Formats: sequence, C-alpha cells, structure tokens
Amino acid sequence: MQSAWYPIALAEGLERGTSVGTRLFGRELVVWRDAAGSSHVWEDRCPHRGMRLSFGFVRDNHIACLYHGWQYDASARCRYIPAHPDLAVPNSIRVATYASLERLGFVWAYGELDRADPEPLQFAERTVTPVRSLYVEATTAKVLDALASTIDRAVDNAASGTQCSRTASLVSLAISGDEILIAVQPLSEQETALHIVIAGPADVHRGASQKRISAWSEALRRKLETSTSQIRPGATS
Amino acid sequence: MSEIRLYDFELDENCYKVRLLLSVLAVPYRKMAVNMIPGGEHLEPPLLALNPRGSLPILLDGELVLSEAEPIMIYLARAYDAADKWLPSDANGLAMVAMWLQFASRDLHAAWRARRHAMFDASGDEQALHHAARRAFRLMDDHMTAREFDDAAWFVGTAPSLADLALFPAIALSRDFAVEHETYPALRRWMRRVRAIPGFITMPGIPDYY
Ligand SMILES: N[C@@H](CCC(=O)N[C@@H](CS)C(=O)NCC(=O)O)C(=O)O
Ligand code: FES
Repeated sequence: MQSAWYPIALAEGLERGTSVGTRLFGRELVVWRDAAGSSHVWEDRCPHRGMRLSFGFVRDNHIACLYHGWQYDASARCRYIPAHPDLAVPNSIRVATYASLERLGFVWAYGELDRADPEPLQFAERTVTPVRSLYVEATTAKVLDALASTIDRAVDNAASGTQCSRTASLVSLAISGDEILIAVQPLSEQETALHIVIAGPADVHRGASQKRISAWSEALRRKLETSTSQIRPGATS
Repeated sequence: MSEIRLYDFELDENCYKVRLLLSVLAVPYRKMAVNMIPGGEHLEPPLLALNPRGSLPILLDGELVLSEAEPIMIYLARAYDAADKWLPSDANGLAMVAMWLQFASRDLHAAWRARRHAMFDASGDEQALHHAARRAFRLMDDHMTAREFDDAAWFVGTAPSLADLALFPAIALSRDFAVEHETYPALRRWMRRVRAIPGFITMPGIPDYY
C-alpha cells in the first residue's frame, strides 16, 4: 500500500455510536464514530488476542472488544479490562491507528499505520450531498478505466486537469447536469468501493438527483462486473 | 381460547422470524423445543404428522396447523394485530409485503443453506451459496439505499412490517457463514432500526448489546 490518503467510507453513512469493518488493499480496518461525533480509523485487531474490533461495539467514547470486553478510548489506549476491574491499565496497551479526517463528505485514512504527521490531503473542502457507497467486484484499475471513459477531470495530487491517472483516488464527473465526486477505495485485489457524493448543498440535490445518480452507479456496477474485456478498447491512462 | 404452540428450534432463523413477530405483537405462546440438530426430531412420526414437509417452524392455534415461517407470520398478523400495522390492508402495501416475504423464503434460502453448511456441515456448494446469498443481500441494500432517498426507513410503507421482520434474520446472522456487513451500508442502518422496534428480541448469533 502506498503512503497516501485513501477514502474508506461515506461520512454521513457512519452513524454515531457505530463501527464497521472495511479493507484497504486487503488489510482490515475498523472505522467508528464516537458519541461526540468524531470518527476514528484503526487497525481492526484487538491487542489482547487479535479479535476484530469491528465485531465489538461502541459505547459513548470507547469501543469494546467482543471477546473479553477490553475497552479502548478515542486515543486507542486500553482503559478498562473487565477481568481486572481495579487494574490501572498500562499506557502501552493500545490499538494501532491510521491518521484520518473527513472532507468532501468522505472519511479518509492515511495508508500507513501510526504515522504521526502525514502530508496534508490536497483536496479543498466543499459542500456536498452524499449519495451512496457502491461495492464492485472489479479491480481498482478497471474501475478507474471505466470512469476515465466518462471523465470530466480527475482531481488528484498529480492530475493535470483532463485525464484520469491510475493513482487517482478522487474523480469528478458531470452527469445530467450534476457534478459528482467519486472517491475510489481499493478494498482488495478484486474488489473496489466507490463512495459517491454530489457537489452542492443537500436542499438542492437530495431526492431526485440522488436517485438518478444511484441508478447510474448501479448500471456502472453491472457493466464492470459483466465485462471481461476493456470497457474502452485501447484505453491507456 | 387454547394456547398457541410453536414447534421451535432455537438456532433456526425461520423459527426466529416467528418468535420475533410473537414478541413484537406481545402474543403469549408455548414454545415446544424440538431437537432438530443433531436429534432430527422434526423428521420423526409425531412432527411429520403435523407437518409432512418435515420443516420447522410449526404453529398450532386451536384447530389450525400451519408450517413455514412466512404463512405463519401472515396468519399471526391478521389474527392478532387488529390495527393491521404489520400486514397492510391496502392493495399496494399488501402486495409489496407479499413480494418481500417471498424474497425472504426464496432468494434468502441460499443464506439459510450457507449457514447450515457453515454451522452444521449440511451439504451444499459453498461458493454458489455464498454467491447467491450475497446477490440477495445486495438487492436488499440497493432497495434500502433507494428508500433512504425518499426518507423512508423500512422496506415497505412508513412503518415496520412483516417484510422487515422476515428479512432481518438472514443478514443479521450472515457472519455465521463469513459474510461481513462491510458492503451493505444501508442494511447496517436498517438493522439498527429493526433492533429498536419495541419487543425486538435476539437469537444466538445476534448479540444483544448494541
Ligand atoms: N459492530 C456493531 C455491533 C456488532 C454488529 O455489527 N452486529 C450485527 C448483528 S450480528 C448488526 O446488527 N449490525 C448492524 C450494524 O452494523 O449496523 C457495533 O458497533 O455496535
Ligand atoms: S481479544 Fe479483545 S479483549 Fe480479548
């Protein structure tokens, strides 16, 4: 995995007090939102016996492991071990974390564990209307190729304005009058997630536009999963 | 009136559908525990006399003997939900609920078989069952994604119905056969709402914390 920012969820879809497991290049992550509204992205592994923390549950500002109930606070430190209720838990017991932030309606994680000061995410904040996350059984390269065939412009650190580069994690498209932003998450060798928002405020875009773009994305998914050949013959990027 | 009897196997998701409905309707009943696995009691003469198909659940209410979860749910809703909250009486609502009930018994049967295969070594082509189960879950997630654009929280109409209760068990138990909830965000939000329905109960495999 490259050291770069990757989208891993639609921010609005992650409700307070919930967690969900996800993947980046096959590595397991847990993303959760505490009761105060902050989101966190950690390695999905309990330091005790390795249970996936996404199988546990969120209470207030901590996450509790399903196996033996060890509790981790928002800084990923273990604060409570039910089998030893009086123990002052050593600070060294902590979950490995990914730097994360929310922008453009997506939760982003930096693809390197416990990296203290990652470079800033290049994209500027904008007002967006969330649409959905779409999970596709296709390689990220194939998804980007398909998006390139309808591309307006790719916005990534290296993109120069009109083409889609292979490392782009954010693509902008115009679809029947709406500008949509698609953040592309490489889940594994064969699976890719597309997190989709519309640029612009919700009072304008909710309802009809969301439905139209969601239906468009389902058609794209069908095309990606049925075609074995190149979407756009001869395409290079 | 004689007591309702439910022939039940605790670990079976079809039996759970009926227990869940009886609980939200607050209808009292007597649970007749059947040792389905490993005992195979549902295939012995006393239960075959009630249900020659050899399946659970079986419901007895007075003279009535019913098998299969979805018809039992329809009966209970009509008989014990005077307000028709769980099974709408209008043509559209009724047909939509019927469609999802059939989805629960047919399209989600692959999920039932995948879970049997994973937990009890039942026969089956694991890959094909997983594929079919994931396809059904995706259809459900697409449906609830579209519903959310209309500010709708439930599979049909403006309140929970039999559709929600019949569809919940398969996805809530999917981790029993190693299908995660990662790729079904709209179903995750909907499952939280189902869990908040008054009278909601869990079964083994569905944690009751939340
Ligand atoms: N990870 C969840 C609890 C575990 C879980 O996911 N439970 C399943 C049932 S086995 C469920 O209903 N999930 C709905 C959801 O993830 O929103 C949490 O953070 O509280
Ligand atoms: S594995 Fe997490 S508390 Fe034991």
